Amino acid sequence: MSAAIETPPETPAEKTAVLPTVSVEEKPFRPGMSGVLGRGLAWAAVAWLVLAVPGNHLSPFDLGVSDVGVLSTAAIFAIIGLSLNVLIGYAGTISLGHQAFVGIGAFTSAFVVTDLGMEFWLAVPIAAIMGGVQAALLGAISLRLSGLYFALVTLAYGMFAEESLFGIAALTGGEGGKAAPRPIGFETDYQYYYVCLAFLALVWWLDLRLTRTKGGRALQALRENPRVASSYGINVKAYTMLAFVVSGVFAAIGGSLLAHHDEVIVPSSFDFELALLFVLMTVVGGLRNRLGVVLGSVFFALLGSGFLVEALHLTGFVEGVIGLPKEFVALVIGPILLLLTITRFPGGIGQQVAPVRGWMLGGRFDRHAGAVKEIEVNDVRA
Amino acid sequence: MTIDELGIVLVTGVLQGSVYALVALGIVLVYRASGVFNFAQAEFGTTGLFAAFVAVEIWGWSYGWGVLFGLLAAVAMGLLTERLVIHPLRDASKVTLLVGTAGVALTAVGIQFWQNNEVPIRQMPKIVEGVAATPFGAAVTYQQLITFGVLCAVAVALAVFFRSPSGLAIQAAQQESTAAELVGISVRRVSMMTWGIAALLGGLAGVLAGPNTTFTAGFLTFGAGRALLPGLMAAVLAGMRSMPGAVIGGLVVGVVEQLGTLSALEQVHGAKALVLFVFLLAVLLLRPQGLFVRRAAT
Repeated sequence: MSAAIETPPETPAEKTAVLPTVSVEEKPFRPGMSGVLGRGLAWAAVAWLVLAVPGNHLSPFDLGVSDVGVLSTAAIFAIIGLSLNVLIGYAGTISLGHQAFVGIGAFTSAFVVTDLGMEFWLAVPIAAIMGGVQAALLGAISLRLSGLYFALVTLAYGMFAEESLFGIAALTGGEGGKAAPRPIGFETDYQYYYVCLAFLALVWWLDLRLTRTKGGRALQALRENPRVASSYGINVKAYTMLAFVVSGVFAAIGGSLLAHHDEVIVPSSFDFELALLFVLMTVVGGLRNRLGVVLGSVFFALLGSGFLVEALHLTGFVEGVIGLPKEFVALVIGPILLLLTITRFPGGIGQQVAPVRGWMLGGRFDRHAGAVKEIEVNDVRA
Repeated sequence: MTIDELGIVLVTGVLQGSVYALVALGIVLVYRASGVFNFAQAEFGTTGLFAAFVAVEIWGWSYGWGVLFGLLAAVAMGLLTERLVIHPLRDASKVTLLVGTAGVALTAVGIQFWQNNEVPIRQMPKIVEGVAATPFGAAVTYQQLITFGVLCAVAVALAVFFRSPSGLAIQAAQQESTAAELVGISVRRVSMMTWGIAALLGGLAGVLAGPNTTFTAGFLTFGAGRALLPGLMAAVLAGMRSMPGAVIGGLVVGVVEQLGTLSALEQVHGAKALVLFVFLLAVLLLRPQGLFVRRAAT
């Protein structure tokens, strides 16, 4: 575009010189030969790390059974993180009772497999439906309450589920817990890891579809401002419900996988602390950033089990110098990361990895990609 | 269900409710100042309790100085929270602030778990041991009576304080911060002061409730002395604004929670949590502006 501002000449001698228009053609960036090779290698490394290493294929590391178990948990946590991301990130409603969402999926799945004698592959969809139904019930309440009050309801709901609902011995086995056997053919931890990974891929794809369709755009609009959204003909109630149901379905899938991963589940493992951990990993990961949420969840799952500290050979430093036992690293470091995230880097991990992500998808390495200025958790109803 | 049973519910409920009322007072104060549901409120109490415990049992201080040290620790935590988390987030949305206070609570819980790793279950001695009376057959300890007495004293003290110049400054800044700045009130100092008082109230709840049972990390948030959710509920009953409402709300929530111990609900698992959840839903759906306020909360 040529500048079209006409200033009156100061002296008659001066004339406005007409500059030739400079046309900047925005050519899409294409990486060169070495760029393609580099990106290909990076993709291969990621694929190797995610697909081959946990199964001990083509790998110099000899991962033990418990290590692979931790990796499965990481994949499951990623699913739960994506579920919470739908609620906090897309719908702008905070849930402090997400352990109930996960727990309902877990106990439904265990009940279906152990008491009704059905297959694992049938139990997961049934658990997902249950999760969707309970989330819809809670969502119906949330439509009448503003953000902070709803957070309080989810808190009470989580406590109620933990103490009353999961205490019904006929359904959940009470204190002794309930057995949840793994599917035939996937009994070992190595095999079960790929089941979790497949479900993570499925949930990722569903989440991608959600954000790319009309529903996702509607959610984005109503999160920014429900009144404006409804004036554009978006049914605010229906789409908030959609977000709840989707979140409930994802969480129940995660819970179901968690149940069959642990093989025996007890009600007391679904406590308030777990709910807070879920919020932590999602916010630190970076709300509305799918990759960030997954990385954040994986990070916290690995940190919580002490796996990350061991893998990085930091045990001596953490336990010796700081005097922090490795099981407590997540408990102490995690909340501090959360506070740093919301006060300093609102984009979370997703913001930090955005340049790498852009590069791997074939763009330039842009250091400033993914910068988020505004604080992300936003509920105008609050 | 006999009269005795209801009597026990009433007595235990009111005594338990005193702790909730102390927590609720802090929550209401903070809500009026910063407009946030303070999820760290109960953790101020646990931190104070831990500090008092360390001073009394490990350093061998006398009880009074130990409690004072605990309260100071709670106040310090409250002031730090205001400086490091609430102030930087003053322009952020309320839900972000809520996540921030939850982060403060979690940080405190994490540090308590870590420092308390070797002996996870602790016991703080009572101020006065023994049972004072047994109305309807419910044992009322001196500790519980003292808690109730402290609540009454705090309520009166707060009522007097909010009529003093500093108290009026706080109220002015909370109602209209820009106008308060214009007449020379430092909103920043008022915010610090409010958080300090709220943390002091939380600390009182902690050092008074702690000796009733053994305590662990996160005692008042999700441990044995769980008071965060009841405290928040009491604050909701007070419409998040009324201080007398918070006191009465705390006592009401205490009694309602005790209804879960009635023999009629013996078969129901976790009846207390169930009763509280239903009560919260009923209040929020029927009278979201709170029970003890005339106008709708804004």
